[in-house]
Amino acid sequence: MAPRPDLTNVPDADVVALAQRGREDAFREIVRRYERPVFSLIYRMVRDSATSEDLAQDTFIKVLNHIDKYRPEFKLSSWLFKIANNVAIDHLRRKQLDTISVSGSPNAATESEIEATSFEIADGAESALDAMEARELGGSIEKAIAKLRPEYRACIMLRHVEDRSYEEIAATLDLPLGTVKTYIHRARIELRGYLEHLRE
Amino acid sequence: MQHRHLLPNELDLLVDDEAGFGMAPLRAHVESCAECADQLAAAQRVAGGLDRLTRFAPSPGFANRVMAQVQVIEPWHVALTETAKGLVPRNRTLRVVMATTAALLATGISGAAVWLSLRTDVALYLGSSIAERARVVVGDGATSLARTLLGEGASTLLGSGPGVLIAGTVGLLLSGAATAVALRSLATASRRTRE
Repeated sequence: MAPRPDLTNVPDADVVALAQRGREDAFREIVRRYERPVFSLIYRMVRDSATSEDLAQDTFIKVLNHIDKYRPEFKLSSWLFKIANNVAIDHLRRKQLDTISVSGSPNAATESEIEATSFEIADGAESALDAMEARELGGSIEKAIAKLRPEYRACIMLRHVEDRSYEEIAATLDLPLGTVKTYIHRARIELRGYLEHLRE
Repeated sequence: MQHRHLLPNELDLLVDDEAGFGMAPLRAHVESCAECADQLAAAQRVAGGLDRLTRFAPSPGFANRVMAQVQVIEPWHVALTETAKGLVPRNRTLRVVMATTAALLATGISGAAVWLSLRTDVALYLGSSIAERARVVVGDGATSLARTLLGEGASTLLGSGPGVLIAGTVGLLLSGAATAVALRSLATASRRTRE
Protein backbone atom coordinates (compact mmCIF):
# COMPACT_ATOMS: atom_id res chain seq x y z
CA MET A 1 0.00 0.00 0.00
CA ALA A 2 1.24 3.50 -0.81
CA PRO A 3 2.41 5.55 2.20
CA ARG A 4 -0.19 7.92 3.63
CA PRO A 5 0.48 11.60 2.97
CA ASP A 6 1.35 13.82 5.91
CA LEU A 7 -1.79 15.56 7.19
CA THR A 8 -0.05 18.25 9.21
CA ASN A 9 -0.83 21.06 6.77
CA VAL A 10 -4.18 19.78 5.56
CA PRO A 11 -7.16 22.02 6.50
CA ASP A 12 -9.49 20.79 9.23
CA ALA A 13 -12.39 20.24 6.83
CA ASP A 14 -10.30 17.94 4.64
CA VAL A 15 -8.97 16.01 7.63
CA VAL A 16 -12.54 15.47 8.78
CA ALA A 17 -13.51 14.31 5.28
CA LEU A 18 -10.71 11.74 5.42
CA ALA A 19 -11.80 10.64 8.90
CA GLN A 20 -15.32 10.17 7.55
CA ARG A 21 -13.84 7.82 4.97
CA GLY A 22 -12.36 5.69 7.77
CA ARG A 23 -8.79 6.96 7.74
CA GLU A 24 -7.27 6.34 11.15
CA ASP A 25 -4.41 8.78 10.54
CA ALA A 26 -7.03 11.52 10.10
CA PHE A 27 -8.56 10.63 13.48
CA ARG A 28 -5.12 10.84 15.07
CA GLU A 29 -4.45 14.17 13.38
CA ILE A 30 -7.63 15.64 14.88
CA VAL A 31 -6.54 14.49 18.33
CA ARG A 32 -3.02 15.82 17.77
CA ARG A 33 -4.30 19.25 16.70
CA TYR A 34 -6.80 19.75 19.46
CA GLU A 35 -5.64 17.76 22.50
CA ARG A 36 -3.98 20.83 24.04
CA PRO A 37 -6.78 23.37 23.44
CA VAL A 38 -9.46 20.94 24.59
CA PHE A 39 -7.51 19.76 27.61
CA SER A 40 -6.61 23.34 28.61
CA LEU A 41 -10.20 24.53 28.36
CA ILE A 42 -11.44 21.63 30.45
CA TYR A 43 -8.59 21.89 32.93
CA ARG A 44 -9.28 25.56 33.56
CA MET A 45 -12.93 24.69 34.06
CA VAL A 46 -12.59 21.75 36.45
CA ARG A 47 -9.14 22.36 37.97
CA ASP A 48 -8.18 18.72 38.32
CA SER A 49 -5.66 17.06 36.04
CA ALA A 50 -6.90 13.46 36.12
CA THR A 51 -10.53 14.52 35.75
CA SER A 52 -9.61 16.88 32.92
CA GLU A 53 -7.91 14.06 31.05
CA ASP A 54 -10.93 11.83 31.47
CA LEU A 55 -13.26 14.58 30.30
CA ALA A 56 -11.01 15.51 27.37
CA GLN A 57 -10.92 11.85 26.43
CA ASP A 58 -14.73 11.71 26.61
CA THR A 59 -14.89 14.79 24.39
CA PHE A 60 -12.73 13.27 21.67
CA ILE A 61 -14.48 9.90 21.84
CA LYS A 62 -17.85 11.62 21.41
CA VAL A 63 -16.62 13.68 18.50
CA LEU A 64 -14.70 10.95 16.70
CA ASN A 65 -17.37 8.30 17.13
CA HIS A 66 -19.86 10.70 15.56
CA ILE A 67 -17.58 12.20 12.95
CA ASP A 68 -20.08 11.19 10.26
CA LYS A 69 -22.53 13.70 11.79
CA TYR A 70 -20.10 16.62 11.46
CA ARG A 71 -21.58 19.57 9.59
CA PRO A 72 -18.96 21.34 7.48
CA GLU A 73 -20.59 24.75 7.95
CA PHE A 74 -19.54 24.56 11.61
CA LYS A 75 -15.84 24.87 12.50
CA LEU A 76 -14.39 21.62 13.82
CA SER A 77 -12.73 23.47 16.69
CA SER A 78 -16.04 25.09 17.63
CA TRP A 79 -17.71 21.69 17.66
CA LEU A 80 -14.95 20.30 19.87
CA PHE A 81 -15.06 23.26 22.26
CA LYS A 82 -18.82 23.05 22.45
CA ILE A 83 -18.68 19.40 23.50
CA ALA A 84 -15.73 20.01 25.82
CA ASN A 85 -17.60 22.85 27.52
CA ASN A 86 -20.76 20.76 27.87
CA VAL A 87 -18.79 17.85 29.30
CA ALA A 88 -17.04 20.13 31.79
CA ILE A 89 -20.23 21.92 32.82
CA ASP A 90 -22.00 18.59 33.29
CA HIS A 91 -19.14 17.43 35.48
CA LEU A 92 -19.19 20.61 37.55
CA ARG A 93 -22.91 20.30 38.03
CA ARG A 94 -22.38 16.81 39.39
CA LYS A 95 -19.49 17.73 41.58
CA GLN A 96 -18.16 20.91 43.11
CA LEU A 97 -14.39 21.21 42.72
CA ASP A 98 -12.11 23.81 44.15
CA THR A 99 -8.65 22.29 43.84
CA ILE A 100 -6.34 24.58 41.93
CA SER A 101 -2.85 24.30 40.60
CA VAL A 102 -1.38 27.46 39.25
CA SER A 103 2.27 26.77 38.67
CA GLY A 104 2.99 24.97 35.46
CA SER A 105 1.30 22.20 33.55
CA PRO A 106 -0.92 19.88 35.55
CA ASN A 107 1.19 17.00 34.21
CA ALA A 108 4.58 18.50 34.93
CA ALA A 109 6.45 16.05 37.15
CA THR A 110 9.91 17.57 37.48
CA GLU A 111 11.19 21.02 38.30
CA SER A 112 12.29 21.59 34.71
CA GLU A 113 8.91 20.50 33.34
CA ILE A 114 7.15 22.85 35.73
CA GLU A 115 9.47 25.62 34.60
CA ALA A 116 8.94 24.79 30.93
CA THR A 117 5.18 24.69 31.14
CA SER A 118 4.50 27.40 33.65
CA PHE A 119 2.96 30.74 32.78
CA GLU A 120 4.68 32.10 29.73
CA ILE A 121 6.44 35.40 30.14
CA ALA A 122 5.73 37.90 27.43
CA ASP A 123 8.33 37.82 24.70
CA GLY A 124 8.64 41.54 24.95
CA ALA A 125 9.35 41.57 28.69
CA GLU A 126 11.87 44.34 29.10
CA SER A 127 13.57 43.39 32.30
CA ALA A 128 13.83 40.78 34.99
CA LEU A 129 11.36 42.84 36.99
CA ASP A 130 8.88 42.74 34.11
CA ALA A 131 9.40 38.99 33.82
CA MET A 132 8.80 38.50 37.52
CA GLU A 133 5.70 40.67 37.41
CA ALA A 134 4.38 38.75 34.40
CA ARG A 135 4.93 35.43 36.17
CA GLU A 136 3.24 36.75 39.30
CA LEU A 137 0.35 38.08 37.20
CA GLY A 138 0.02 34.72 35.39
CA GLY A 139 -0.21 32.78 38.64
CA SER A 140 -2.66 35.29 40.06
CA ILE A 141 -4.76 35.18 36.91
CA GLU A 142 -4.99 31.39 37.10
CA LYS A 143 -6.16 31.72 40.70
CA ALA A 144 -8.59 34.46 39.76
CA ILE A 145 -10.01 32.47 36.84
CA ALA A 146 -10.71 29.61 39.24
CA LYS A 147 -12.97 31.96 41.21
CA LEU A 148 -15.10 32.86 38.19
CA ARG A 149 -18.41 31.22 37.40
CA PRO A 150 -17.90 28.30 34.97
CA GLU A 151 -19.83 30.10 32.22
CA TYR A 152 -17.54 33.12 32.57
CA ARG A 153 -14.47 30.88 32.55
CA ALA A 154 -15.45 29.23 29.28
CA CYS A 155 -16.09 32.59 27.61
CA ILE A 156 -12.86 34.13 28.88
CA MET A 157 -10.81 31.10 27.82
CA LEU A 158 -12.28 31.04 24.35
CA ARG A 159 -11.82 34.79 23.98
CA HIS A 160 -8.29 35.15 25.28
CA VAL A 161 -6.59 31.75 25.01
CA GLU A 162 -8.28 30.51 21.84
CA ASP A 163 -8.60 34.00 20.35
CA ARG A 164 -12.23 33.53 19.27
CA SER A 165 -14.51 36.35 18.25
CA TYR A 166 -17.61 37.11 20.30
CA GLU A 167 -19.74 35.67 17.49
CA GLU A 168 -17.78 32.42 17.43
CA ILE A 169 -18.03 32.07 21.20
CA ALA A 170 -21.78 32.61 21.00
CA ALA A 171 -22.10 29.91 18.33
CA THR A 172 -19.81 27.53 20.20
CA LEU A 173 -21.52 27.85 23.55
CA ASP A 174 -25.03 28.20 22.15
CA LEU A 175 -25.48 31.55 23.85
CA PRO A 176 -26.90 34.81 22.54
CA LEU A 177 -24.22 37.28 21.44
CA GLY A 178 -25.32 39.79 24.07
CA THR A 179 -24.95 37.20 26.81
CA VAL A 180 -21.42 36.38 25.70
CA LYS A 181 -20.49 40.09 25.76
CA THR A 182 -22.01 40.44 29.20
CA TYR A 183 -20.22 37.37 30.54
CA ILE A 184 -16.85 38.53 29.25
CA HIS A 185 -17.43 42.05 30.51
CA ARG A 186 -18.40 40.82 33.98
CA ALA A 187 -15.57 38.30 34.05
CA ARG A 188 -13.05 41.02 33.26
CA ILE A 189 -14.46 43.24 35.97
CA GLU A 190 -14.29 40.39 38.47
CA LEU A 191 -10.76 39.53 37.41
CA ARG A 192 -9.72 43.16 37.76
CA GLY A 193 -11.12 43.09 41.26
CA TYR A 194 -9.29 39.90 42.17
CA LEU A 195 -6.04 41.29 40.76
CA GLU A 196 -6.36 44.72 42.34
CA HIS A 197 -3.56 43.95 44.78
CA LEU A 198 -1.10 43.63 41.90
CA ARG A 199 -1.65 47.13 40.65
CA GLU A 200 0.76 48.73 43.04
CA MET B 1 -14.29 65.33 23.47
CA GLN B 2 -16.13 63.41 26.14
CA HIS B 3 -16.59 65.14 29.53
CA ARG B 4 -17.45 62.18 31.68
CA HIS B 5 -15.41 59.16 32.70
CA LEU B 6 -15.59 56.06 30.53
CA LEU B 7 -18.18 53.43 31.32
CA PRO B 8 -16.96 49.85 31.93
CA ASN B 9 -18.31 48.65 28.57
CA GLU B 10 -16.49 51.50 26.86
CA LEU B 11 -13.29 50.38 28.54
CA ASP B 12 -14.01 46.88 27.19
CA LEU B 13 -14.28 48.28 23.67
CA LEU B 14 -10.86 49.87 24.05
CA VAL B 15 -9.41 46.69 25.55
CA ASP B 16 -10.73 44.70 22.58
CA ASP B 17 -9.18 47.35 20.32
CA GLU B 18 -12.45 47.79 18.50
CA ALA B 19 -12.42 49.89 15.38
CA GLY B 20 -15.14 52.04 13.94
CA PHE B 21 -17.49 54.86 14.57
CA GLY B 22 -17.48 56.18 18.12
CA MET B 23 -14.07 54.90 19.16
CA ALA B 24 -12.14 58.10 18.43
CA PRO B 25 -13.87 60.17 21.20
CA LEU B 26 -13.18 57.36 23.69
CA ARG B 27 -9.50 57.32 22.78
CA ALA B 28 -9.35 61.09 22.91
CA HIS B 29 -10.89 61.06 26.39
CA VAL B 30 -8.36 58.52 27.67
CA GLU B 31 -5.54 60.73 26.47
CA SER B 32 -6.81 63.64 28.50
CA CYS B 33 -8.11 61.83 31.61
CA ALA B 34 -5.56 60.30 33.95
CA GLU B 35 -8.17 58.36 35.90
CA CYS B 36 -9.61 56.66 32.81
CA ALA B 37 -6.12 56.07 31.43
CA ASP B 38 -5.26 54.34 34.69
CA GLN B 39 -8.46 52.23 34.50
CA LEU B 40 -7.70 51.29 30.93
CA ALA B 41 -4.12 50.35 31.76
CA ALA B 42 -5.37 48.06 34.52
CA ALA B 43 -7.92 46.46 32.19
CA GLN B 44 -5.32 46.02 29.45
CA ARG B 45 -2.91 44.50 31.93
CA VAL B 46 -5.46 41.84 32.90
CA ALA B 47 -6.40 41.21 29.26
CA GLY B 48 -2.72 40.97 28.34
CA GLY B 49 -2.17 38.47 31.13
CA LEU B 50 -5.11 36.41 29.87
CA ASP B 51 -3.80 36.55 26.30
CA ARG B 52 -0.48 35.16 27.48
CA LEU B 53 -1.97 32.16 29.25
CA THR B 54 -0.57 29.00 27.73
CA ARG B 55 -2.27 25.80 26.74
CA PHE B 56 -1.55 22.79 28.88
CA ALA B 57 -0.77 19.39 27.41
CA PRO B 58 -2.40 16.19 28.59
CA SER B 59 -0.12 13.39 29.77
CA PRO B 60 1.84 11.39 27.17
CA GLY B 61 -0.13 8.66 25.44
CA PHE B 62 -3.35 10.63 25.53
CA ALA B 63 -3.97 10.16 21.80
CA ASN B 64 -3.44 6.40 22.07
CA ARG B 65 -5.89 6.18 24.95
CA VAL B 66 -8.46 8.07 22.91
CA MET B 67 -7.88 5.97 19.80
CA ALA B 68 -8.24 2.77 21.82
CA GLN B 69 -11.86 3.74 22.42
CA VAL B 70 -12.71 5.09 19.00
CA GLN B 71 -14.25 2.90 16.35
CA VAL B 72 -12.63 3.66 13.02
CA ILE B 73 -15.08 2.23 10.52
CA GLU B 74 -14.68 2.55 6.81
CA PRO B 75 -18.13 3.07 5.24
CA TRP B 76 -19.20 0.19 2.99
CA HIS B 77 -19.24 2.37 -0.15
CA VAL B 78 -15.68 3.52 0.54
CA ALA B 79 -14.59 -0.08 1.19
CA LEU B 80 -16.20 -1.13 -2.08
CA THR B 81 -14.49 1.68 -4.02
CA GLU B 82 -11.15 0.91 -2.41
CA THR B 83 -11.52 -2.79 -3.18
CA ALA B 84 -12.36 -1.97 -6.78
CA LYS B 85 -9.34 0.34 -6.97
CA GLY B 86 -7.20 -2.46 -5.55
CA LEU B 87 -8.27 -4.74 -8.40
CA VAL B 88 -7.01 -2.30 -11.02
CA PRO B 89 -3.47 -3.36 -11.98
CA ARG B 90 -0.65 -0.86 -11.47
CA ASN B 91 1.04 -1.84 -14.69
CA ARG B 92 -0.14 0.35 -17.57
CA THR B 93 -0.15 -2.46 -20.16
CA LEU B 94 -2.17 -4.71 -17.87
CA ARG B 95 -4.61 -1.87 -17.26
CA VAL B 96 -5.07 -1.42 -21.02
CA VAL B 97 -5.59 -5.18 -21.50
CA MET B 98 -8.08 -5.27 -18.64
CA ALA B 99 -9.99 -2.26 -19.92
CA THR B 100 -10.09 -3.70 -23.44
CA THR B 101 -11.36 -7.04 -22.14
CA ALA B 102 -14.00 -5.30 -20.04
CA ALA B 103 -15.05 -3.18 -23.01
CA LEU B 104 -15.28 -6.27 -25.26
CA LEU B 105 -17.31 -8.12 -22.62
CA ALA B 106 -19.63 -5.17 -22.17
CA THR B 107 -20.07 -4.83 -25.91
CA GLY B 108 -20.77 -8.56 -26.24
CA ILE B 109 -23.32 -8.56 -23.44
CA SER B 110 -24.98 -5.43 -24.79
CA GLY B 111 -25.10 -6.93 -28.29
CA ALA B 112 -26.64 -10.12 -26.96
CA ALA B 113 -29.20 -8.13 -25.00
CA VAL B 114 -30.13 -6.10 -28.08
CA TRP B 115 -30.40 -9.25 -30.21
CA LEU B 116 -32.58 -10.90 -27.57
CA SER B 117 -34.81 -7.85 -27.33
CA LEU B 118 -35.35 -8.00 -31.09
CA ARG B 119 -36.10 -11.74 -30.94
CA THR B 120 -38.82 -11.74 -28.27
CA ASP B 121 -39.77 -15.37 -28.97
CA VAL B 122 -36.22 -16.53 -28.20
CA ALA B 123 -36.02 -14.25 -25.15
CA LEU B 124 -39.33 -15.59 -23.81
CA TYR B 125 -38.28 -19.18 -24.43
CA LEU B 126 -34.89 -18.67 -22.72
CA GLY B 127 -36.50 -16.75 -19.84
CA SER B 128 -39.13 -19.39 -19.17
CA SER B 129 -36.56 -22.19 -19.43
CA ILE B 130 -34.28 -20.50 -16.91
CA ALA B 131 -37.20 -19.75 -14.56
CA GLU B 132 -38.46 -23.33 -14.77
CA ARG B 133 -35.02 -24.74 -14.14
CA ALA B 134 -34.53 -22.40 -11.15
CA ARG B 135 -37.95 -23.34 -9.73
CA VAL B 136 -37.13 -27.04 -9.97
CA VAL B 137 -33.71 -26.64 -8.38
CA VAL B 138 -35.00 -24.44 -5.52
CA GLY B 139 -38.08 -26.60 -4.99
CA ASP B 140 -36.08 -29.84 -4.88
CA GLY B 141 -33.52 -28.30 -2.57
CA ALA B 142 -36.15 -26.93 -0.20
CA THR B 143 -38.08 -30.21 -0.14
CA SER B 144 -34.95 -32.18 0.55
CA LEU B 145 -33.90 -29.76 3.31
CA ALA B 146 -37.37 -29.82 4.88
CA ARG B 147 -37.42 -33.62 4.79
CA THR B 148 -34.03 -33.76 6.46
CA LEU B 149 -34.86 -31.23 9.15
CA LEU B 150 -38.60 -31.69 9.77
CA GLY B 151 -39.53 -35.11 8.39
CA GLU B 152 -41.79 -36.47 5.66
CA GLY B 153 -44.90 -34.43 6.67
CA ALA B 154 -43.17 -31.13 6.10
CA SER B 155 -41.99 -32.16 2.65
CA THR B 156 -45.59 -33.07 1.70
CA LEU B 157 -46.79 -29.65 2.92
CA LEU B 158 -44.03 -27.98 0.95
CA GLY B 159 -45.25 -29.73 -2.18
CA SER B 160 -48.72 -28.17 -1.79
CA GLY B 161 -49.77 -24.63 -2.93
CA PRO B 162 -49.71 -22.85 0.50
CA GLY B 163 -46.50 -24.67 1.29
CA VAL B 164 -44.80 -23.11 -1.72
CA LEU B 165 -46.03 -19.70 -0.59
CA ILE B 166 -44.71 -20.24 2.94
CA ALA B 167 -41.41 -21.57 1.63
CA GLY B 168 -41.09 -18.60 -0.71
CA THR B 169 -41.75 -16.12 2.09
CA VAL B 170 -39.28 -17.83 4.42
CA GLY B 171 -36.74 -17.94 1.63
CA LEU B 172 -37.16 -14.22 0.98
CA LEU B 173 -36.78 -13.39 4.69
CA LEU B 174 -33.69 -15.57 4.97
CA SER B 175 -32.09 -14.03 1.92
CA GLY B 176 -32.86 -10.54 3.30
CA ALA B 177 -31.25 -11.44 6.62
CA ALA B 178 -28.27 -12.95 4.83
CA THR B 179 -27.81 -9.76 2.80
CA ALA B 180 -27.91 -7.64 5.96
CA VAL B 181 -25.37 -9.89 7.68
CA ALA B 182 -23.14 -9.81 4.60
CA LEU B 183 -23.21 -5.98 4.45
CA ARG B 184 -22.46 -5.76 8.16
CA SER B 185 -19.57 -8.21 7.75
CA LEU B 186 -18.23 -6.15 4.89
CA ALA B 187 -18.27 -3.01 7.04
CA THR B 188 -16.62 -4.81 9.96
CA ALA B 189 -14.03 -6.42 7.72
CA SER B 190 -13.17 -3.04 6.32
CA ARG B 191 -12.19 -1.75 9.74
CA ARG B 192 -8.75 -0.45 9.30
CA THR B 193 -5.69 -2.12 10.75
CA ARG B 194 -4.31 0.00 13.53
CA GLU B 195 -1.12 1.75 12.55
